[in-house]
Amino acid sequence: MNRLSTEKLKDIVGRLPTSRDEDWKYTDLKTARDISTRWLAAGSAAAFLDLDAEIQRITGSIDANWFVVANGTLQRLNEADDVVAERIDGPPATDSALAELNAALLQDGLRIRINGKPAKPVGVLVIDGAADPSVSQAYVEIELAAGASADIVEYQASQGTAELYANSAVTLLVGDNAAVNYVRLQNRAPGHVQTGRMAVTMGRDSQLRMASYDLGGGLIRNDVVIDLSQPGADVAFDGLYLAGEGQHIDNHTRVDHRVGPATSTQEYRGILNGRCRCVWNGKAVVHEGADGTDASQANHNLLLSEKAEIDAKPELEIYAEDVKCSHGTTVGQLDESSIFYLRTRGIDEEHAQQMLTFAFAADIVARAPVDAARATVSACVEKRLAELIAADFILDMPK
Amino acid sequence: MLEIKNLETRIGDSDILRGLSLSIKAGEVHAIMGPNGSGKSTLAQVIAGHEDYIVTAGSVSYNDKDLLELAPEERAREGIFLGFQYPVEIPGVNNAYLLKAAVNAKRKHQGLDEVDAFEFLKIAREKMAVLGMDPKFLNRGVNEGFSGGEKKRNEILQMAMLEPQLAILDETDSGLDIDALKAVADGVNALRSPERAIILVTHYQRLLDYVQPDYVHVLSAGRIVKSGDKSLALELEEKGYDWLREAVPA
Repeated sequence: MNRLSTEKLKDIVGRLPTSRDEDWKYTDLKTARDISTRWLAAGSAAAFLDLDAEIQRITGSIDANWFVVANGTLQRLNEADDVVAERIDGPPATDSALAELNAALLQDGLRIRINGKPAKPVGVLVIDGAADPSVSQAYVEIELAAGASADIVEYQASQGTAELYANSAVTLLVGDNAAVNYVRLQNRAPGHVQTGRMAVTMGRDSQLRMASYDLGGGLIRNDVVIDLSQPGADVAFDGLYLAGEGQHIDNHTRVDHRVGPATSTQEYRGILNGRCRCVWNGKAVVHEGADGTDASQANHNLLLSEKAEIDAKPELEIYAEDVKCSHGTTVGQLDESSIFYLRTRGIDEEHAQQMLTFAFAADIVARAPVDAARATVSACVEKRLAELIAADFILDMPK
Repeated sequence: MLEIKNLETRIGDSDILRGLSLSIKAGEVHAIMGPNGSGKSTLAQVIAGHEDYIVTAGSVSYNDKDLLELAPEERAREGIFLGFQYPVEIPGVNNAYLLKAAVNAKRKHQGLDEVDAFEFLKIAREKMAVLGMDPKFLNRGVNEGFSGGEKKRNEILQMAMLEPQLAILDETDSGLDIDALKAVADGVNALRSPERAIILVTHYQRLLDYVQPDYVHVLSAGRIVKSGDKSLALELEEKGYDWLREAVPA
């Protein structure tokens, strides 16, 4: 299945980013290199787990038209009215070792074309699980035709305790006047490593509403790169990451405003407890001539432990004249006056803190733009958060 | 029920209460009036247990217990309720959830079973109807996006649900239109009973037209400078506070 010799693959693995790379300052892929090396040494093979039950559970929890990529293999290809899909070989390797790795090892790429307004959301489940160290790739290309509109759910999951490194690339092409609501839910098993790159190209007067939820995994690095090269595009994307002991979650976003008018807003929130590290790096580049750009970025973090670390960095590069840009980041603890208010109602301090922690996350849960996915997002966030803060109750999130 | 003796408090570098004494018995309604900065809100916050206020002298006993030894949540469960001047907005915490958690925290403390969801909603809806509140407020975040009047009604709703033994309402009347003021007054009057006491902290006499106090105290520079019956409130309305400052130098 490998298109390249083991030597060539070793070379790519050796070039996976390290903290010496500017964009990877806080996230070294050493674990990914190590897993890949062990997997290559084992002949690029691993005994896969039976994922059927988990696939059933997940695809049953959200009413969508599901496509399933399990351990790198396309298992379910569900065409529907206005949804045309095919297996593809994948993209040519591009400019990074991660993309090269994806291209070199990809088994089944998936291309989905959405023409009108599908009745149900399009769901893409990427799920992995093996009994031995394993490496998996996914490549998904989704294109919305001009004027199309769709709900999309991308769910990344994994099973098992063996080391796993999953690398995915998603390309989203939003046509002129098209509108897409996109939910990304990452709920991988503890310790698993994921790198995911999402490249979005927005058409004229197109709209994107997106929310990403990072709940599981060990080392997670997401890159979202959005290209606004047509006027009238309107993009809003939010994110929530919950990190506990031993987790490392890095969200890098980049929006290129190449023309105006166009709008991009983002708000990521994080809740960190225990020894963990999260990174949020939000970059907006307003290119020369992109007048009428409106870009805003916000990142708010709740640090519940002294051992938790957040590196939050907004980056604005502005080369145009008539623009409106703002950014804000906060790192803090819970609001004391809210805690006091709750305590005066008989709620003990610990319970009050837990309630406010749920509340901090609830805002982003409420913004899940795909109605059919909100209950699942909500349930997953509630469950993970209760684990994270050792709460003996669950505070209902918006459904 | 509540016995405050020579209470002195400090926040940061400033002394707020400077030897305040006040005795309140069950069944009584006390109004505490006074100019801005006289220490009215501080008194309310100290009784509720705000930890930013340091008690430097004096004592507060509540039902013969040392109130200052109790955490804010313990005070609440023992029957003390503070209606906030500026109720906090807590987006993401459902109003019904908070109400139910509060009621159950108190019931648990009293050794009672938790109230079941059906019964809770029934009682909450009844109380809301009395206060002229739309039941949809139950499903909103606590005070989230509420108008000033809605926030105050929500405080009174919480009070009505918790049935406190000692209720302190801190400027609950400020910023209310006449309908909201009447609704709040009705809520307070409904709570009056021989077992309960109510402290109304207010700047104006207006609320006292609807909730008749047994005693009126004037606070100035951190201590009570004059006490009387409800006619004192009318006198204050007419003359303002300056004559008291002149009469009793701080």
